[in-house]
Order: sequence, then structure tokens, then C-alpha cells
Amino acid sequence: MAVPISQAWTVATYVLKQKFMGKKKYPLVLMLEPLFRCNLACAGCGKIQYPAHILKAELSPEECFKAVDECGTPMVAIPGGEPLLHPQMPEIVAGLVARKKYVYMCTNALLLKEKLHLFKPSKYLSFSVHVDGQREHHDFSVCREGGYDIAMEGVRVAVEAGFRVTTNTTLFDGADPNSVRAHFDELMVAGVESMMVSPGYTYDKAPDQKHFLGRARSKKMFRAILSNRKSSWRFNASPMFMEFLMGKKDLTCTPWGMPTFSIFGWQKPCYLLQDGYADSFKALMETVEWQNYGTESGNPRCANCMVHSGYEASGVNYTFGSIKGLLQTAKAIFFSKYEDHGAMKILNEWKPAHHTPLVQIAAKAESDPQSAHNAAELQEVSGD
Amino acid sequence: MATEIQEGAKLEQLSHENPDEIEVAAGRDREQLEGWIPELASDADVREALEKAFDYRGDITVTRKDGTQVQGYLFDRQSSTTLTDSFIRIMPSNAPGTKINVGYADVAALAFTGRDTAAGKTFEAWVKKYWAKKAAGEQNIQIEPEKLD
Ligand code: SF4
Repeated sequence: MAVPISQAWTVATYVLKQKFMGKKKYPLVLMLEPLFRCNLACAGCGKIQYPAHILKAELSPEECFKAVDECGTPMVAIPGGEPLLHPQMPEIVAGLVARKKYVYMCTNALLLKEKLHLFKPSKYLSFSVHVDGQREHHDFSVCREGGYDIAMEGVRVAVEAGFRVTTNTTLFDGADPNSVRAHFDELMVAGVESMMVSPGYTYDKAPDQKHFLGRARSKKMFRAILSNRKSSWRFNASPMFMEFLMGKKDLTCTPWGMPTFSIFGWQKPCYLLQDGYADSFKALMETVEWQNYGTESGNPRCANCMVHSGYEASGVNYTFGSIKGLLQTAKAIFFSKYEDHGAMKILNEWKPAHHTPLVQIAAKAESDPQSAHNAAELQEVSGD
Repeated sequence: MATEIQEGAKLEQLSHENPDEIEVAAGRDREQLEGWIPELASDADVREALEKAFDYRGDITVTRKDGTQVQGYLFDRQSSTTLTDSFIRIMPSNAPGTKINVGYADVAALAFTGRDTAAGKTFEAWVKKYWAKKAAGEQNIQIEPEKLD
């Protein structure tokens, strides 16, 4: 199992309860953003570009608890900013664990080793470490040489201390599926519980607007990455969401599935788009014109979106929406290899995109046994 | 909402491609707004300028019709059919954690006074800097977060 049985059971009973109560729109995971400042400065990050007085602001533990109680989801993700920079983060996490919420603290792990003693291992707490690929790829993505080694050291120390540790990998245009698969191997060897992977976020306000994967390329890339799966890989995602990424299933967005709360309030409509803020969760649910969002709505800002925050809840909904959904999910869990010769061909022939950045991380395809585990190599390629 | 100018590249792409067939998605056109003082001659001007202020990643300064000023980050706007029913929400730079509402109809002047914190932070800019530093023999190359004090 990619998540403990108690967590799977809690989520399943929560979803079924909402369905029995006839609720059409209910959230699955609260994205709690207690601060926006970060100890990395990734080029293109749309989350940390604010004036200093906003970056210094943070939610108090009481504000966090109020939001969690209002929203009522069984799971709380804490992205940011870097949550470990919040001086009261241990208190916030302890309060959420006391509420029996399954907490995923999303961290770049630069401070994890140093701050680990402030947290207690619990089945309710998982450190979700952001690692964007193999060493060179991650370092480039976070604009810091040595970032990968620090993050992986954080992973190892947390695993050794008995914490649940998962990872979160975001892929932008220019990602190499062969390298991503090698990255999965490395993460499993490091002892992570499970991995999450998602296409790059289409943040409207990201300073870099050139490296967003389109849906066609996302599907091709995820088909190459997630087909012919190794039995050692464990993923922290709904099987139906992963089929959606691979282009095997159509899902429509559930923008209310992962509502976001930050110093500004409840973000309308979703984690990615900022169309204003509501002062309560109830107001968020009642005032957003939800039909204006999702790829099928024709909203240009949703056009290329396939991200976890919009579609993971759709995958879960699909699973619990019908007997067919349950059977398909069961099949995906028990026959999860997804053998696909076409996908292997894509993998072997994958070429860097024309639109890629000036650097490319090269990893040889897996069909070439000699180079299967070659370290990725940073090489200069010609730009557009 | 966003202005059509901002969404121009995406709208152009979507006018001849199906979202499911797009390989690399067009981003959003960035405007140089730092230092801009828009003319607010008509209601439409006020709406357009405040929409851009909402999109802006730096502080702005609003002068009310009574002459008082608010400087800070415009994090929300609630736009209704009339200016009297519409308002912006600002986190003032000198009063952390507070939120101030200003009606659209009360706005006499607007200025994009703060630095655009997103300007120039593209992946290409990082790559260029990276290779320049590498060529100079530097080690542990990184972008440091800006100092907040
Ligand atoms: S498709 Fe859904 S998750 Fe993606 S940007 Fe639109 S509303 Fe947000």
C-alpha cells in the first residue's frame, strides 16, 4: 500500500459519507499556506513573488486550526513558502495531529535535518519532500547547486528517525522521462513511503511563462514515465488520476477538491489560480462561479491544466462514484504494471523538446542496459 | 478575471488548437507596470487599472478622493456592476496583517510604486547567469532569496 490502511480507510469513509449526505461539492485536502517566504528562490516560482511585508507575514496556529475546522477535510497539505521557516510550525503540526488530520508537510528539506527534533513521528504526519528529479535536474529546477544532496540527506534522516516521508516531483517542459524513472528508483532506495508526480503548475503569476507543459505533451511524457512500472515503485496518488496523466482516462477538474487558505483568506477558485479571496470556506463555496473553471469551461487559464490539485479529487470521485469506478481502481491497484510497448518506444526515442531551456539533463533510455543507471549529465544544448 | 492583453498568447493559441493537442502551452504576456500611473478618466479605465493592480506582484499606492493614501499589496478586488458596489482589498505595507477595503468609486489616483517582484526572474535568466558563473569557475552556484529587512 502506498498509504497506511488507516489513512485509506479514513479517506474512503469521508468520501462515502459526503456522497450519502448528497453533497455534490466537497473538499478532499486542505492546502494550508501559513507563509509565502522561502529559503530557495526557484526561477519561475509563482508562490514567492511578493513584497517583503507579505513574505514576512504568517498565519498564527489559531488561524490555521480555524481554517482546518471550517473546511473539515481528512487531509491537510502544508505547502508555502517553506513551512519549516514558520517559527510555530511544530505547534501547528501538533495541533493538526491532535485533530487526527493526515498532514503532508511540503518541504524543500533544506532545514529538515536541523528541525526534525521539533516533530514527533506519527501515522498522521508525513514530510512531503520536494525533489524535482535527479541531482542535476533538481539543482537546476531549484536554482541551487547542492540542493538535491541536502534534500536527500533530509529524506534519509527523517526516514531513519521513523517519520513517514513521501516525495513530490513537479515536471516542466524539458523534463526527461528516462531520468524521471531513474529518479523514482533513487527515491525508493532512499526509503520513501511513496511518491507524487504532477505536471508543472500553470501559475498565472509565475514570472516564467515559457515552460508549461501542454496537455498533449504531458500525456505523452506521463505515458512514457508511468507505463511499464517497476514493482518497487509506490505512488501517493489516486490510480485514476495517474491514468488521467497517462492519457488513459478523461477527468474533469474538481477545483474545490483542494481548497487553499493563506494569509489572504480562502483562495478563489483553486490552488493555481488567484481570482480573489473569500473570508470563510462557506463564502468560498457559495461565491465562486465554478462553471467558469476547468479545461472544459473554455477558460484559457485552465486550458493546459492537468495538475494534482485540480484532478486528484476527480480521480477519487471517479473511484467512489460507481461500481465501475471501484472495479477500475481495484484493477489499477492489482494490475498496476501498465505494460505498454508504445510507451517504451516513446521512452527510447525521447528527444528534448524544441522549446526546452538552454540546458537539458540527459539520461540514457532503459533499453540500453549499459547506460541504464548512468548518472544524468548536464550538457549544453542549443536554444531556440 | 484577467485582461485580454494578459491572456493574449493563450487566447491566440486556443483559437487554432484544441487544449488536448497542445504540446507546449502559451504563457501569459507580462506587462511592464512598475512605475506606471494610469489615467483614470472613465469607469472602464478604473476597472482596467485596478485589474492590473490586482495582477501586479509589487506594492501600489492608492489615493482616495479625500486625499488620504494607502500603500500596500492589492490582494483582492470584488468587482460588481457599478463602481459604488465594487472594492479593492489591500494589505498595507506599514500595518502587517491588516486588510483595508477601498471602494472603486473612492479611487482618485493609482500608482504602481513598489518594485515588481516577479520581473526578470525567468528560467532563461537563471540559465544565463548559471553558465556565466560556471565559466568563471564558481562553485555552489545558486539564486539566494532576497533579504527581507
Ligand atoms: S483546471 Fe481546475 S485546477 Fe486547473 S487551473 Fe483551472 S480550476 Fe484550477
